[in-house]
Amino acid sequence: MIWVTWRQHRAQAIAMLAAFAVVASYALAVGFWMRSQFNADGLGTCLARSGGADCGAMITSFFSEVNRGATLPLDALLFVIPGFLGAVVGAPLLGSELERGTWQLAWSQTVPRGRWLAAKLGLVTAALVVFGAALTAIMTWAWTPLDEVRIRLQPPPFNFEGISLPSALLCAFGLALLAGLLLRNTIAAMVVGYVAWEVPFVLGTLLTGPLQFMTTTMRIPCTGVVCLTASTNSSPPVTGHLGDFVTGVTRSGNELIVSYVPADRFWPMQFVVGGMYLAIAAAAIGTAVWLLHRRTT
Amino acid sequence: MTHQRSVPALAADGLGKRYGHLWGLRDCTFAIPAGSVVGLVGPNGAGKTTLLALTVGLLAPTEGEMSVFGSPSRANTADTLARVSYLAQDHPLYRGFTVADMFRFGRSLNPSWDSGLAEARMATLGIPLRRKVKALSGGQQAQVALTLALAKRAPVLALDEPVASLDPLARLDFMRDVLAASAETGLTVIIASHVIAELERLCDWLLVLAGGRLQLAGAVDDLLARHAVLTVPRRIPNSDVPGSTIDRTDSERHSTLLVAADPDLVAAAASQPGWLAEPAGFEQLVLAYLRRPPVTLAAAHRAGTAGTAVAS
Repeated sequence: MIWVTWRQHRAQAIAMLAAFAVVASYALAVGFWMRSQFNADGLGTCLARSGGADCGAMITSFFSEVNRGATLPLDALLFVIPGFLGAVVGAPLLGSELERGTWQLAWSQTVPRGRWLAAKLGLVTAALVVFGAALTAIMTWAWTPLDEVRIRLQPPPFNFEGISLPSALLCAFGLALLAGLLLRNTIAAMVVGYVAWEVPFVLGTLLTGPLQFMTTTMRIPCTGVVCLTASTNSSPPVTGHLGDFVTGVTRSGNELIVSYVPADRFWPMQFVVGGMYLAIAAAAIGTAVWLLHRRTT
Repeated sequence: MTHQRSVPALAADGLGKRYGHLWGLRDCTFAIPAGSVVGLVGPNGAGKTTLLALTVGLLAPTEGEMSVFGSPSRANTADTLARVSYLAQDHPLYRGFTVADMFRFGRSLNPSWDSGLAEARMATLGIPLRRKVKALSGGQQAQVALTLALAKRAPVLALDEPVASLDPLARLDFMRDVLAASAETGLTVIIASHVIAELERLCDWLLVLAGGRLQLAGAVDDLLARHAVLTVPRRIPNSDVPGSTIDRTDSERHSTLLVAADPDLVAAAASQPGWLAEPAGFEQLVLAYLRRPPVTLAAAHRAGTAGTAVAS
């Protein structure tokens, strides 16, 4: 079964390796460039010295340099990569067999279809997880300098750090797998799988963006000009801690009432959003396995 | 294959398969000896593919049981799948695979795989192992699919409309190879086909399905001996004719009847003036049963026509 799975997914594996090579070399270039900027500006030394409190201007100029640079295309690409790749790999696994009638060949050999599917799912999902984890690792490394000063709690960084990327890949894979079984057509299953994946993806994006669900409140005594200029966009954040996601600032006498998501909520949020992806993937794959088993009765 | 002759290669006992509210196959009972070449005939939707899928283990029956060499078929179990090779309609293959890839696929999924047989057949047929499936002609693809089924080395081979998409020459080659395999190894073959003339040359056993019901089952020689074509004066009603009338065609003065009856009774009846008895032909017999409105096996038993249907 290992050889059969490899032979049937060989083209996809090669295409994904090629995609990985392109993204990885781009990320390496960006990573080295960003490190040199980070050090050349003296931002690194400033952060080490003051923990960010005195580095506002430097951070702003570093942001504008990085954004002027070429990180945006990759960020944009990462919005579609998990859904697209997951759908492309998941749709034909059952969809193509049913569309072309080869299921009659595959499932009438001595290996029962349950074992056939288990072997395929095991190998293909493992490959997707490795691919997603490798991509996450290289992107996380490349973006490390930026991550020291930016908010990782919202997309784009949230979507390709932590467990987001592999989970989102598996989610799209599972949905396209199920769509292939139901629609018996590869192309239709790719489209439906991708569109279905957009639902949790948009929900995840909303949860980490406008619908922040892990906010907490802090009261900061303030005096003078700080009190008047403080806003959600202040850099460094009014909470005094780089990476905090400030969602609201109101003044009450000589106090600022700040609602924000602390930077250390990154992992809990990853597990909530990634868990949602994985739960959907498990439900879709489980349904496909069950339906395939039931088709004989 | 060293299976006891007494154990039927294929046996159905009250076999039925329901899809939702509709029965695709029902009340199917027969027993076919090992080494037979079975023709499975019926109009589209008669249940031929359902019967084959139940035999192969791709489907589980709703009622009754299918046995292969005495062991009941269990859908999706290695034991059942190993006993029957299946060549589905339109001989599906992975189009992007080379012939060698297809064989490696067969080897990976079948412990009893016979590489020597597969490669020798390709050499004989002049099909290069390195060629991609999609670059082969329809006849060559059918041969690769047949080779895949034969090299699995299962004692039963099930073929669904194997030659429907082939040209006349490729049909002959293909069927010749199936017969040769059956003769060489004692393989039991069951072939679903529309081409009755083709089956006449190949089969020594016959199953006729219509509307999901078994209309006729038996060894071909036996069936032909138990049926006759009688030409009688037109005024003679079916009730005055021996046995039971399967099919009747009336012309101006005479009627031609295909009857299922004891040969002695037919011979006695044919001595009446104006009566003529002739042996039934294979095609005539099949067409008569296909033309008849589907009957249940139980009803056929009552009418006395199904003495041949359980010929074990």
